[in-house]
Amino acid sequence: MMMKYLKKVITVTRWEFSRFFKPKNEALGIVIMLVVSAIFYLGGKYAFSDTDKKLKISALNDMDVSLTEILNNNYVINQIPKEDKAKFIAHLRNERDGVLLEQDSEKFVLHAYKNTRAIKKLKTYLTEYHKQREMQRIGLAPEELTAVLSPAPVAESFLYTDNSMNRLVLSYFFAGLMILALFLSFAYQFTAITGEKQLKITEQIVSAISSQVWMDGKIFGITLTGISSMFTYAILSIVGGMLFFQFTDLPASGILDYLYLPSIAIYLPFALVGILIWNALLAAIASIITDPYNSGKSSLMMLPVVFVLASFLVTRDPDSGLSIFLSWFPLTSATSMPVRWAITEVGYWQAAGSFLLLLLTFYFLRKLAAKIFRVSILITGKEPTWSEVYKLSKQA
Amino acid sequence: MQKTVLSVNSISKDFLNVKAVNNISFTVGQGDIYAFLGPNGAGKTTTLRILLDIIKPDSGHIEWNLNGKQELVPEAEHIGYLPEERGLYLDIPILKSLVYLATIRGMKKGDAKKIALEWIERLGLADRAKEKLQVLSKGNQQKIQFVASILHKPEFAILDEPFSGLDPLNQEIFIDYIKEINNQGTTILLSAHQMSLVEKVANKLFLINNGNEIYNGSLSDLYQTFGKKIIIELQLKSHVNETTFQYLNGVESVNYIDDLRVKITFGQKTDLNNVLLDLTKVDGICDITSHKPNLHEIFLQLVKKQ
Repeated sequence: MMMKYLKKVITVTRWEFSRFFKPKNEALGIVIMLVVSAIFYLGGKYAFSDTDKKLKISALNDMDVSLTEILNNNYVINQIPKEDKAKFIAHLRNERDGVLLEQDSEKFVLHAYKNTRAIKKLKTYLTEYHKQREMQRIGLAPEELTAVLSPAPVAESFLYTDNSMNRLVLSYFFAGLMILALFLSFAYQFTAITGEKQLKITEQIVSAISSQVWMDGKIFGITLTGISSMFTYAILSIVGGMLFFQFTDLPASGILDYLYLPSIAIYLPFALVGILIWNALLAAIASIITDPYNSGKSSLMMLPVVFVLASFLVTRDPDSGLSIFLSWFPLTSATSMPVRWAITEVGYWQAAGSFLLLLLTFYFLRKLAAKIFRVSILITGKEPTWSEVYKLSKQA
Repeated sequence: MQKTVLSVNSISKDFLNVKAVNNISFTVGQGDIYAFLGPNGAGKTTTLRILLDIIKPDSGHIEWNLNGKQELVPEAEHIGYLPEERGLYLDIPILKSLVYLATIRGMKKGDAKKIALEWIERLGLADRAKEKLQVLSKGNQQKIQFVASILHKPEFAILDEPFSGLDPLNQEIFIDYIKEINNQGTTILLSAHQMSLVEKVANKLFLINNGNEIYNGSLSDLYQTFGKKIIIELQLKSHVNETTFQYLNGVESVNYIDDLRVKITFGQKTDLNNVLLDLTKVDGICDITSHKPNLHEIFLQLVKKQ
């Protein structure tokens, strides 16, 4: 009996996977992504190429020589007579280019078309000049100023020392991959179920297999599709990371500093069951949607994203009460627990307990989804309300 | 003695305040072509869905005896089902769809592919096996749907409205298919409302109306019991009053088709010679035909009695 069930689930799983996982389309998606990234990169470079050029600063004749020296390294300084000030300001409105710097003893006046990043940078040089002047005024040596501004000497001793930036990057990478897998799964699951209902295939299928086999096959098949895409993009990202290191004159093996294996080992099973859970929930919702274009329930498809995004909160303070709750709560633990595992100290029992809870939730959720599907196919004509589904589920 | 493969005992099903199926019982023997006949909304599809455990009955029970096993729910391997709501994967190649639907009914993939190709060739679609279903005409899609329901060579096939949506030529082709798979050993239970087609294919009948049984038995018994009446159709030059015909010997009913055409039903012991003699006394008859009642007329007769 069990063998028969498994055989049928595998048949439906393979069918769903082959329906939606298209290596050709996957490859095309990657090519498009690379092309778009290249366009953004090159376009960005072109768009900001002007900012790399030295900004032209017009200074009125009476500007201090030491300031001119400081600015000369970074800007093209053009001294203009005082009488041309009005003419320059009038010129700014039309040309929208250039900056006029006016020095009135200790005060500065800046004239530009609008505030830009370059102006902000210019202000840092003016501050530097201002500091030097103040030091001279009060007779303070540069070493003395450095001593005044230096931070308090603190010797640090932490019990947990692995909360490096690398681990944080890895945890964001996990959450990102999970969102990607969920988004892809959602699209496929939604199409798989509502499409089958709209094509009126459902009755034929449920006369051949139980609603549980149908539901399990769908959940596993679509999850496999999402996971496959996730792996494709994960490998692509790692290769991209290696290339990045290569181009920045760092060894390609630098990527290994980011790939913390214990975290990856925890992440994979959590991600798998997490996607299964969300697919089960989504399948239950999709089961009662008759017309995906006009159903109010379609908006519920965005719900899992909210929970996955909530996991990003964990990165802010992985040891807070909220983070601990999120890493145990089955709808968020799939990403929250691996993220906590990557950036703080988490006991093995916690990871095991959270995973067990995740598995149990999936076990019952798939049963609930099959029950909802079974009762929803009996309601024809109009889309059932949640209360109708609840009543029928109780009767079934 | 014929083996009973399906035994339905006093099943009922209500939907809100509507009695869709009301305490019906019947048995289907091995090798039968059993027709469930009734107008739209009579309860045919609900009954078939109950048989397949898609819907649970409110009361009554069902017993299947397929492959030597007695069960309340039949195993998918032994059952073929053509639902009333037709549908297949339109965006997937024909062969791939057929193989999938046969494998979920327990057939091996290789066997399913071989038999699917045989059927596809028979339908004249051999060169289109790898094309998507959506490129086929509606008629051909219906044929593929039919093949999907019987590809795994089931012991018992349930065909819900197999003739609906087909043109007369394809209806005849489907009758041949049904007879052929029946000859190969598949017991058939079909539902339909096209009585003239059912007459050509079924050997047993269940007439149903508003969820109630009207008749349950063999087609020959039905004709034996209710088909001995004489129906005479008259073409008139001008309208003749109903009372003129009501006083003829043996008349059971008089029905006007239109002003100048009338159908008169005589009881089964009526002598046709006497009827003709009586009709010579009626003025204005320009044409006369007589026949035994067909299934449609018997059905109407039984509904009236009910």
